[in-house]
Amino acid sequence: MASVRLRDIRKRYGDNEVIKGIDLDIEDGQFVVFVGPSGCGKSTLLRMIAGLEDISAGTLELGGVPSNTVEPSRRGIAMVFQSYALYPHMTVAENMGFALKLAKVAKDEIRERVGRAAAILQIEHLLERKPKALSGGQRQRVAIGRAIVRKPEVFLFDEPLSNLDAALRAQTRVELARLHRELQATMIYVTHDQVEAMTLGQRIVVFNGGRIEQVGTPLELYERPANLFVAGFLGSPRMNFLPADLVGSPQGALTLGLRPEHLALADGAGAAGSSVEGTLGLVEYLGDVTLAYVQVEGVEQMVAAKLAAGTPLPALGARVALGWDPARAYLFDAAGAAM
Amino acid sequence: MSGRSSIGWTLVAGACAILLLLLWTAPLLWALSTALRPELETVSRQFHWLPQSWTLEAFAKTLGAGKLLRWLFNSFFVALAVTLATMAISLMAAYAFSQLRFRGRNIVFGVAMLGFLLPFEALLVPLFRTMNQLGMINTYAGIVLPQVVAPVVIYVFKQFFDAIPADFREAATMDGAGPLRVLWSVYLPISGNIVWAMAIVTFIAAWNNFLWPFIVVTSNEMMTIPLGLTQTYDAFGVRYAQLMAAALLGALPVALAYAVFQRRVTQGFLAASGLK
Repeated sequence: MASVRLRDIRKRYGDNEVIKGIDLDIEDGQFVVFVGPSGCGKSTLLRMIAGLEDISAGTLELGGVPSNTVEPSRRGIAMVFQSYALYPHMTVAENMGFALKLAKVAKDEIRERVGRAAAILQIEHLLERKPKALSGGQRQRVAIGRAIVRKPEVFLFDEPLSNLDAALRAQTRVELARLHRELQATMIYVTHDQVEAMTLGQRIVVFNGGRIEQVGTPLELYERPANLFVAGFLGSPRMNFLPADLVGSPQGALTLGLRPEHLALADGAGAAGSSVEGTLGLVEYLGDVTLAYVQVEGVEQMVAAKLAAGTPLPALGARVALGWDPARAYLFDAAGAAM
Repeated sequence: MSGRSSIGWTLVAGACAILLLLLWTAPLLWALSTALRPELETVSRQFHWLPQSWTLEAFAKTLGAGKLLRWLFNSFFVALAVTLATMAISLMAAYAFSQLRFRGRNIVFGVAMLGFLLPFEALLVPLFRTMNQLGMINTYAGIVLPQVVAPVVIYVFKQFFDAIPADFREAATMDGAGPLRVLWSVYLPISGNIVWAMAIVTFIAAWNNFLWPFIVVTSNEMMTIPLGLTQTYDAFGVRYAQLMAAALLGALPVALAYAVFQRRVTQGFLAASGLK
């Protein structure tokens, strides 16, 4: 297995720079997730690591070897595509063995390696089928199997679960985590889904506008976001942002960040500065929790509070107060950086 | 009321279809009828749709004349060579225009498509001079080479390749396939029906091509069927039965080929019509 090192990686399309200087170290055997909104450059960076896009500037090292100009098939990398990219005219076995066939591996060895990968993914019974005869989840496993068979140094996943339904996504997440434990492989996983990022990644890299906003473990990013963007990106419902001033401080306009699960209904007599009043605008009953949305004067977006299921709530339109523990609040300066 | 008018329209449509069928098949049936009657009967003043006396004499004499089989072989060889060469060149060109990125790609594609604007007749003289200078008059190469450039086939393939998701090419690249291998192992199998359709259309066009072989071939041995039929006429004088027999024998192979492969042709054109 191998490490991945990126030093000042840049990508330009004409005058438009879409990747703006990325420095990142991924250790051998780590499961790293690239997460960010659409168009932030995470897939482009993944494709540059794979060799499917040229690197405009900077250095990519795979296992300590500079690899900017190395052919994709010689980088020791296997990729699982969002669309799976299974060759429609080949059987599952042929799809999985295609790379080995190109590498002139002996037929017996191809059969053995395909069989072993199929056993890991429990798709032995599908080997003679064509992709069109498979379900979405089965195609996903075949795509992963095609990658495993090559015994790569690094696995790349480009939003592999985005075409699956919610139940299958959850199930496949568990299987991917198991696969990582079993193979002890270096894996780089791109997603726009923060739930996938939080559940799968040992480390998460948050991208925005072609730059890295923050790198850390899931809990580090969730509990100590470096800026407004990271704070608002992770968490569902997202963190509430309220305009604030720090009394006795010349800081200027600040932003107060409050996670929905840290808010509770207050009786209006809470500590000064740790409660806010508004009108109850919307209630969502999710079964295990209840989400209450409060319209606060001067705040554009409704403030979301995650309450325990069964919490008694007044009628919509009633005045309510939400309180919080000041130790759980976040403050961001005028530039959006965490204070 | 609507049921009756529907039956009425069905009857009208059926009658029109039968009429068109008769109009289309009448010349073929007449050719067959002529080929199956004695030579004298073909110039009889009395008109008969069917032969008064049936005979295979015309077919026997045509086949026995010795040249028809040679012309059939030439047609088959030339048509097959043109088809294979056209498919190979067009597929590679279309793949390059569709999937590869290189400086001037769009300009080169535009120039290739300019071939649409040039009628083949305008190229006859320069092509003949070129073939003559290369010593290719009365050779298979001389007949085949000018026919292998087909802008329309390149265009159809390029449009088809453009619609194939790039993920397949990228996955194959990650697997270690070069451009030619990607074309052979991935794009060609995916494009199976349209390739068959273009191949059959190209084969038929090459088989039926009269003009270029007429220009570049002067030797009886190197003639193709369309050219050879004119020789048949000259050689036998006004021998309609043998002329029709030769024409039917010459058209039979390609008609059989189309009958065998027509499903693939239809599927190919349907697949192409569904593309942007």
